[in-house]
Amino acid sequence: MYSAIRSSLPLDGSMGEYSDGTNLPVDACLVLTTDPKPRLRWTSELHERFVDAVTQLGGPDKATPKTIMRTMGVKGLTLYHLKSHLQKFRQGRQLCKESTENSKDVSCAAESQDTGSSSTSSLRLAAQEQNEYVYVSSSYQVTEALRAQMEVQRRLHEQLEVQRRLQLRIEAQGKYLQSVLEKACKAIEDQAVAFAGLEAAREELSELAIKVSNGSQVPFHTTKMTVPSLSELAVAIEHKNNCSAESSLTSIPVSATLMKRHRGVFRNGESVVVGHETGWVMPSSSLG
Amino acid sequence: MKLQASSPQDNQPSNTTNNSTDSNHLSMDEHAMRSMDWDSIMKELEVDDDSAPYQLQPSSFNLPVFPDIDSSDVYPGPNQITGYGFNSLDSVDNGGFDYIEDLIRVVDCIESDELHLAHVVLSQLNQRLQTSAGRPLQRAAFYFKEALGSLLTGTNRNQLFSWSDIVQKIRAIKEFSGISPIPLFSHFTANQAILDSLSSQSSSPFVHVVDFEIGFGGQYASLMREIAEKSANGGFLRVTAVVAEDCAVETRLVKENLTQFAAEMKIRFQIEFVLMKTFEILSFKAIRFVDGERTVVLISPAIFRRVIGIAEFVNNLGRVSPNVVVFVDSEGCTETAGSGSFRREFVSAFEFYTMVLESLDAAAPPGDLVKKIVETFLLRPKISAAVETAANRRSAGQMTWREMLCAAGMRPVQLSQFADFQAECLLEKAQVRGFHVAKRQGELVLCWHGRALVATSAWRF
Repeated sequence: MYSAIRSSLPLDGSMGEYSDGTNLPVDACLVLTTDPKPRLRWTSELHERFVDAVTQLGGPDKATPKTIMRTMGVKGLTLYHLKSHLQKFRQGRQLCKESTENSKDVSCAAESQDTGSSSTSSLRLAAQEQNEYVYVSSSYQVTEALRAQMEVQRRLHEQLEVQRRLQLRIEAQGKYLQSVLEKACKAIEDQAVAFAGLEAAREELSELAIKVSNGSQVPFHTTKMTVPSLSELAVAIEHKNNCSAESSLTSIPVSATLMKRHRGVFRNGESVVVGHETGWVMPSSSLG
Repeated sequence: MKLQASSPQDNQPSNTTNNSTDSNHLSMDEHAMRSMDWDSIMKELEVDDDSAPYQLQPSSFNLPVFPDIDSSDVYPGPNQITGYGFNSLDSVDNGGFDYIEDLIRVVDCIESDELHLAHVVLSQLNQRLQTSAGRPLQRAAFYFKEALGSLLTGTNRNQLFSWSDIVQKIRAIKEFSGISPIPLFSHFTANQAILDSLSSQSSSPFVHVVDFEIGFGGQYASLMREIAEKSANGGFLRVTAVVAEDCAVETRLVKENLTQFAAEMKIRFQIEFVLMKTFEILSFKAIRFVDGERTVVLISPAIFRRVIGIAEFVNNLGRVSPNVVVFVDSEGCTETAGSGSFRREFVSAFEFYTMVLESLDAAAPPGDLVKKIVETFLLRPKISAAVETAANRRSAGQMTWREMLCAAGMRPVQLSQFADFQAECLLEKAQVRGFHVAKRQGELVLCWHGRALVATSAWRF
């Protein structure tokens, strides 16, 4: 998406590639490199002339190397140079067009100028591994390229920031829910402990009562709080429907079910069966 | 109402519907047309391919009639449904969606106050839908059937009876947040809307959030985190939660946990609770407001269930001059206005929760215990509430909530790019295929295969 602008653009308009030697102006117009195989350096000036010529000739698709050569009138410029440069020029435009179509982020300033323009068409080619040429025709394009790149970087930056924040938020929420869960579990255990104590006391009492009585069919056994209240029945039915969920949850202490069954006890202390309960009320709860 | 001719396949005359007083017969063309609507609806609900496709057999019997429906009703006429229901009643449940038709028959019976018949059909349904297993459609049908049962018997199974239930519910929320982006999208988008509204003015650092559906307070964890980071000398957050009457335990949990969390974040924090009943009487006068605070109000469709005069509510909302009102709709209310029809709202809710169950299936492997927990302790109560709401038809003939807010003079606030990015990021993290984020009319919407599951928007006067 960003390939057209990704690599570093030379900000000062100079060429991106430097050979072993330095730039040696061979003649007034052409600059050749000094490596073993001398190659033409497309300076910004030369390129501007090229672009002008191409424009004169009606665009890169209409212009041919021959006509460009004639129009430019630069000594030493061969057809070979122009062929390859023109090809790159056409490709670069294509690249620019494609990248603008695909991406909404990157504003390719060249594109906005290229579409249907006749006056100043320009070319910006990213320096890929194979591609040695980077063209920046004028300072205007530099600014545009800069701005586009800044925009890209800003968005990347913001997205990174969003990711970071999101991660923090997810962690905060997870941590919070975990602590709520733990507190709730602990409350169950506390209650179960209280119940267990109460239950043990009750059992002792009832055993005592049995001993005291004459061993007949004392209905004391029935006071063993096994008669559930209506609401507990409803809960039991509901849990029966969902028994698969219930039974596998091993982290819930067994005493929780103990607590549930004997909720009636806790509520009323003495009496056995409680009436229908409309809601859960904690003995020591207070709103707020 | 009598049947014109009895169906040869109909062995159970008790199921013939007698609940209409009109003798209104639709022509065969209308039958066919309406069956096409039904077809497309069922296709959308993605019925199992294995199910035997039902056939319209108008020639075998004349269909009984139901009370006349609005011509603008999109859904098929009851005649269609009864017809299919007749066909399949004697046969073994072939996995087809005949139970849906029966569900709708129950709905219709309730709507026309024929409770005895409703019970009859429901008891048959109970035979056929015995477990909450299977494809999303089937599971949804089970939960909705249960909800209808509760409605008929007048029991409310949604209350959390014991600590065990509460623990399960908390666990369900936690797991749901872990596997599906739905809950986090709701919370984080709302939080971002809040944060955006706060950052725009650099005036008062005092924030007061009025929340009508605080749940277990999970949303505030991340909000507090952000407030702590943004403010240099310790942030300040005050929350007023309007809660239902039977939430004593949850309330205590919320208060304890949020207070502790705030202390860890080094934020000055206060939380107060107001009973819903009190709010219904006193409206916003039941809530304490402090000068100099920036007020944020969080609402959801639930508030429109409880409050009787919605226009009045919105007006009172205006008098409180909130900084921002954030509306989170995770119940699929965005499209349907109060139509005044139990059936229509029932079907709409049914479709919605089928989608939610589908998305749950995509998020967790089949038969996963986590899913079971989420469905039982989170979705099922919501479904019951939705059915109850639909039955009450409180919102009969009213505008959509969006229209109501606009009518009261509120305007939507554009959600920031941060919120957009955050939502996309969240979906990437969740790694569940099928979700995507969309923007519509100033809302940020979490969609499942094109259907909106959660829609969040911010408003101000």
